[in-house]
Amino acid sequence: MKSTTIAAIGIFALLVILILLSPQSTKQQMQGALFQLISPILRTGASVGNEIGGVSGGLKRLDELQRENEQLRSEIEQLRAENSLLANLEKEVNRLNRALGFREQSPFKLLPARVITRVSATWWNTCTISCGSNEGVAPDMAVVTESGLVGKVTTVGRNISVVLLVTDESLRVSVTIEGTQEQGIISGTRASSTYAPDLRIRFLSKSAKLQPGMKVLTAGTGGVFPSGLVVGMIKDFTANELEGVAKVTPAVDLADIENVFVILRQK
Amino acid sequence: MIVFFACLVALTFGSFVFQLFLPPVMLLNGAAILFAPIVYFYGCVSLPFPLVLALTFVTGLLDDLFAVPQSGDHAQYTVGISIMIYLLPGIIMHGLRPLFLTHRWRIHFLLAEISAALVPFILLAQYAILSVERSNFFFNDIIIWRIVGPGLISLLIAPCVFFILTPLSDALGYRPGLPLAR
Repeated sequence: MKSTTIAAIGIFALLVILILLSPQSTKQQMQGALFQLISPILRTGASVGNEIGGVSGGLKRLDELQRENEQLRSEIEQLRAENSLLANLEKEVNRLNRALGFREQSPFKLLPARVITRVSATWWNTCTISCGSNEGVAPDMAVVTESGLVGKVTTVGRNISVVLLVTDESLRVSVTIEGTQEQGIISGTRASSTYAPDLRIRFLSKSAKLQPGMKVLTAGTGGVFPSGLVVGMIKDFTANELEGVAKVTPAVDLADIENVFVILRQK
Repeated sequence: MIVFFACLVALTFGSFVFQLFLPPVMLLNGAAILFAPIVYFYGCVSLPFPLVLALTFVTGLLDDLFAVPQSGDHAQYTVGISIMIYLLPGIIMHGLRPLFLTHRWRIHFLLAEISAALVPFILLAQYAILSVERSNFFFNDIIIWRIVGPGLISLLIAPCVFFILTPLSDALGYRPGLPLAR
């Protein structure tokens, strides 16, 4: 064997050991630096993709437009009705809040961000968002939309962050079921044939009385996710010999997220 | 040779970035379209062994940094593991280098298809490690499609990548096994 080959094997082995044994924080920094490096490409690519999508989306047939128009009209009527109901409700809630001394606005400081790419790695569900350490984002911060929980920040660059989505198997969140005392751990699936697969709650009691449509909320234990964030709705419930398991439809349509909020801290 | 190696490193990096924009193929149950392993395998058959090791290191490290979320104090899939995963199929492809040096297009086509067939091995190894880390090993048809699907897609991509990289190698003055171009 040539001496250069032996030297190459030695250097290779040394570098691999060095990488494998380096601390987790170093790996996070490496990943953050990598995504920071490519963030201009990702932003440009995402905006080009949006423009292409916008152009192709705009080319609709007349009958499609007519149908859409009718649908939008009926939605407007529905929203007007809901709006008047909500206005009354808002007054009521505000009155109660004042009475109880609570603040009227959101209890969290929220940072808006745009989803740059939805990463379709084979075994992991992540996305990148358009804010980072410059805006005060840090690892383990919760990411939400107005509909509910999206995931948590794992890696942070200066103006880009990687978010581990709630549909990933490795993201486990302690949850409660609204209107019950039930608590469990929710997680995603390792691989799914859709962008928005069902979630699964484990460690529920076998005798839990769960009905489809019940809201699943974060329990607030663990320190990462504040309590009360909507995670999804119960789809079905089964009990085996050891535990109750529930399937959950995610509250956020992860196939179609464009804007999210990072929870910087509780106010 | 070094210029071509640097070009392959840049192309590998570019392939990983490009892959971020590619949606999964829902027709194949969400199988990913992978370019980077094919560029890597081309490097394995065309470059000498020390540079194959260097390319293995770069490809494996980038694969992990681009895909694996680094969550919490202990990641479930350690960054750097993929370097070892890429090494074995890389060595197999490097063992076929004498065939590559014949410079016959039919042989190159065959090597491209062999490299495509090795793509599922990488995904299977990643899945096995992930399953061990999570203490939960199971197979269903979606998992099988996630492993086999990219290999099927690569059967189409690999010959194109090989037939683009060979003229590029010539253009950069790297012609392994052939007399130097004047």
